[in-house]
Amino acid sequence: MTTLLIHHDAFADHVTPTGHPERVDRILTVNRTLEDQEFSDLKREEAPLGSADQASLAHPDDFVTAIEHAVPEENIVQIDSDTYMSPGSLEAAYRAVGGICRAVDAVAANEADNAFCAMRPPGHHAEKTTAMGFCLFNSVAVAARHAQKTHGYERVAIIDFDVHHGNGTQDIFWDDGSVLFCSTHQMPLYPGSGALREEGALGTICNAPLNPGNDGEHFKQAMNDRILPAMQNFCPDLILISAGFDAHTRDPLANLNFEADDFQWATGKLMDLAGKFCDNRVVSTLEGGYDLEGLAVSCAAHVRTLMNG
Amino acid sequence: MSNDAPQMDISKLPFEQALKELETIVSKLEQGSVDLEQSIAFYERGEALKKHCEARLRDAEMKIEKIRLSADGQAEGTEAANIE
Repeated sequence: MTTLLIHHDAFADHVTPTGHPERVDRILTVNRTLEDQEFSDLKREEAPLGSADQASLAHPDDFVTAIEHAVPEENIVQIDSDTYMSPGSLEAAYRAVGGICRAVDAVAANEADNAFCAMRPPGHHAEKTTAMGFCLFNSVAVAARHAQKTHGYERVAIIDFDVHHGNGTQDIFWDDGSVLFCSTHQMPLYPGSGALREEGALGTICNAPLNPGNDGEHFKQAMNDRILPAMQNFCPDLILISAGFDAHTRDPLANLNFEADDFQWATGKLMDLAGKFCDNRVVSTLEGGYDLEGLAVSCAAHVRTLMNG
Repeated sequence: MSNDAPQMDISKLPFEQALKELETIVSKLEQGSVDLEQSIAFYERGEALKKHCEARLRDAEMKIEKIRLSADGQAEGTEAANIE
């Protein structure tokens, strides 16, 4: 497999207050991890700057404008109870949008079989009109719409295994039958959504909440019983992954007990599906993961599997 | 939990107060009105409150005395309930 790695130094210029869990060290840790010799075959590209038009694929124009206006010239501003912007945040958010769209383009053009976007801020909590949960623009949602608009993919599946429910992605695609949104997540936990009964207006939302304390075996059961069959039935033209690694047992923001091997297993299963339905097309993007060691080993397992199958 | 009043030691909370706080926490988590960073602290305090409430209930159950009735249906004494 040829795996594209999307990265950019600008992702380290999105600065949050001291002590905030979604911090610069996260992306530096991911970058260091993926510089190891075993990842030398990654095809590396810097994330291009995305545009307001791209962000508007998932958000109303006035929301995009409001985010542009919220960026401070200096210091850090709070735009939600736990979401912040620094002078470098807008560029980081636009490169996250541009980076994942570039990854979709590369996979669509067979320049790579799959791609991993090492980016921040994360995006899956950003709803159509609300930046929240450390997220500004919903990058994975933008990627889905971009894939449909630019490459004509009719059916896009998004799988989100971040420990927190991807409420933003669910909100954006709630009544869109062309996008399947699947999520495993701890419940109860932030943001409170993600119950089994939340199936979307057209039945294309598939939630598999996990109980606090659940481990990789529970995750595999949820994937095997609920998520993977839903994805198989959907016959996707492209698979997008919201790859949060905060279900790792070391993570301080949740109570699930996944190990790196569990992310490897899930990645392999998703690649099997991609091989069957969509010519291996998988684009993955970093979401959460707040313990640096847990993030490093989990991300390594994920990218290693993308590269090696 | 930082936006709340100072947290009371759970072991000293009466059952009713612990249950009320637990209900508030569950409601906040379900409504999504807790910050991402704080939600784990809310969950963990809720879990501790739940254990405390369960322990208080067990204590109360152990104190329930079974009323012994005589053959004619009159109460003739009590004995400790055989629970668990």
